[in-house]
Amino acid sequence: MEQGRERVTMSHASNPAQPTFVFGKRDEPGRAIWFLLGPCLLYLVVFSIYPLFHSLRLSLTDLTAATGTGNFVGLDNYRALLVDPLFWNAAKNSAIMVFFSVAIQLVLGVALALFFNLHLRGSWIVRGILLLPMLMTPIIVGVMWRALLNPDWGLVNWAIKSVGLTPPDWLGSVGMSMVTLILVDCWQWTPFVFIIVFARLQALSQDVFEAAQVDGAGPLVTFRRITLPMLMPAIVFAGVFRAVDAFRSFDLIYGLSYGGPARSTTTLSFFSFQNGFQFQNYGYAAAVAYMMLLILALGTTLMLKFVQIRPGASR
Amino acid sequence: MKIRPGRVVAYIFLIFLGIVGAAPFIYLAILSTKKRIEILAQVPPTLNFNWAQVLKNYNEVLFSQGMLGFTLNSIIVVGAATAIAVLIGTPAAYAFSRLRFRYSEQLASTILSMRFMPPIAVAIPLFLMVKAVGLQDSYLGLILPYIAFSLPLVVWIMIGFFDEIPAEIDEAALIDGCTRIGVLWHVMLPIVRPGLVTAALFGALFIWNEFLVALYVIDSRAFQTISLGAATLVSAQRPIDWNIAAAVGVVTVIPILLFSLFVQRYIVRGLTAGAVK
Repeated sequence: MEQGRERVTMSHASNPAQPTFVFGKRDEPGRAIWFLLGPCLLYLVVFSIYPLFHSLRLSLTDLTAATGTGNFVGLDNYRALLVDPLFWNAAKNSAIMVFFSVAIQLVLGVALALFFNLHLRGSWIVRGILLLPMLMTPIIVGVMWRALLNPDWGLVNWAIKSVGLTPPDWLGSVGMSMVTLILVDCWQWTPFVFIIVFARLQALSQDVFEAAQVDGAGPLVTFRRITLPMLMPAIVFAGVFRAVDAFRSFDLIYGLSYGGPARSTTTLSFFSFQNGFQFQNYGYAAAVAYMMLLILALGTTLMLKFVQIRPGASR
Repeated sequence: MKIRPGRVVAYIFLIFLGIVGAAPFIYLAILSTKKRIEILAQVPPTLNFNWAQVLKNYNEVLFSQGMLGFTLNSIIVVGAATAIAVLIGTPAAYAFSRLRFRYSEQLASTILSMRFMPPIAVAIPLFLMVKAVGLQDSYLGLILPYIAFSLPLVVWIMIGFFDEIPAEIDEAALIDGCTRIGVLWHVMLPIVRPGLVTAALFGALFIWNEFLVALYVIDSRAFQTISLGAATLVSAQRPIDWNIAAAVGVVTVIPILLFSLFVQRYIVRGLTAGAVK
């Protein structure tokens, strides 16, 4: 900013939590910033930050819907959780789901982006169709796939049988249900990766590709040495968003498999939901949710080392 | 024009993609026109439609089971929450984009991180809060938490749009005697209108499908939203009437179909809020 910068010290300047504001204009009173930011911050403090702390407090009590008032039990819930095989089962399922969903979606999404980059005539129609799943209500996605995969009359099994193969027991067997969940998640969310990578691909300057062609680079070399590195920021971004959202996802499981059979699709989200909503064991559910937050915080801190998030921070 | 074989294969693949992509939706639509018994008997379902049956199924879903009411509830709740989120999120985004103050980066990152918050971590406290002020089972009981859910997204989308506007425009208006608030209202808002549309669309989308908080807050059918209503319709009765379930699916897809027509132009901006440019 330009001349006349003046330091306006707020009354709480000694408290490090209260920022000291620096304004470039005399006619810009300190009140302006509170007026602009205040409502938003206040709202988030009341309806996001406070519930998070409340959740933390709950996780240190034995509150259930039956007892009404919970007693402070310290870290008992966390201790119980660490030796609970059901918790570890859910953690394992979450890890499997996040890893394979994201891996498959990244590969397919990039492949789709490259394919649509051929700019075939009429491809915008197909692109529109492919984007639909991502906008759909996850519960309905689950129900829709239960119909498609129905062992008796579902369309998918009919198609598999009509080419002479034996369809697997998609949602009925412990071994297959997680695979099915991952496949359905990929059906819904590959478009997300696709559209982000495709947008990046469109924005790339064509000069490098022409130069590569002049230098005699084949398509494979061009892809590995030029296209892929230039797409990397978009791929990493899509991967981070997808990983977090797959980790949080709960409604799809609710609609598709309800965590079963035999807890084979019970992820941490669903495990916490079952404890909280079904068994009304609020304290334990909150502890599970807090373990999720811990994992998320660690995971995103690690990942954000590789992604720049602030738009314009590089200006 | 010479026909290249590679191009032909690509077109065949494109058509294949289109068919595979549309098939689940078409299948759902066909199932929704059948009698319960026909779904079990016709594999794959035939394409002869009995319009009386279609009418009966959709009448059942929309009116007897209340999907039309659920849709209206969703529109009211999501519409109100999004409007308020844009109203309080836009000034905040403007402040983050233009004003320099300490911890602004950290504050902005904290707000973005809230977009990643698992709803499961706040659903119970939000429910207890809403219950404490007697708002369970009301529109307001959902609108209040939903504003908080879409607010981070709105702020981030708007920061991106404000960052694109040269600061010289602000400076000029400030020199002409405009206040900061005046600049935002009279100068910036007309320029960032596409940003407001994007923020509203994606803020709305983010909460349109919300399920968990609604499950806690809403008890009576009168206030159920689409996702909650659909969930109770397809899981409460066992075994499921698949023709009815399919019609429920079609009814939920229609608003999304309309939405996707509007959203195409903005989709990249909306999805990549917070991304490096």
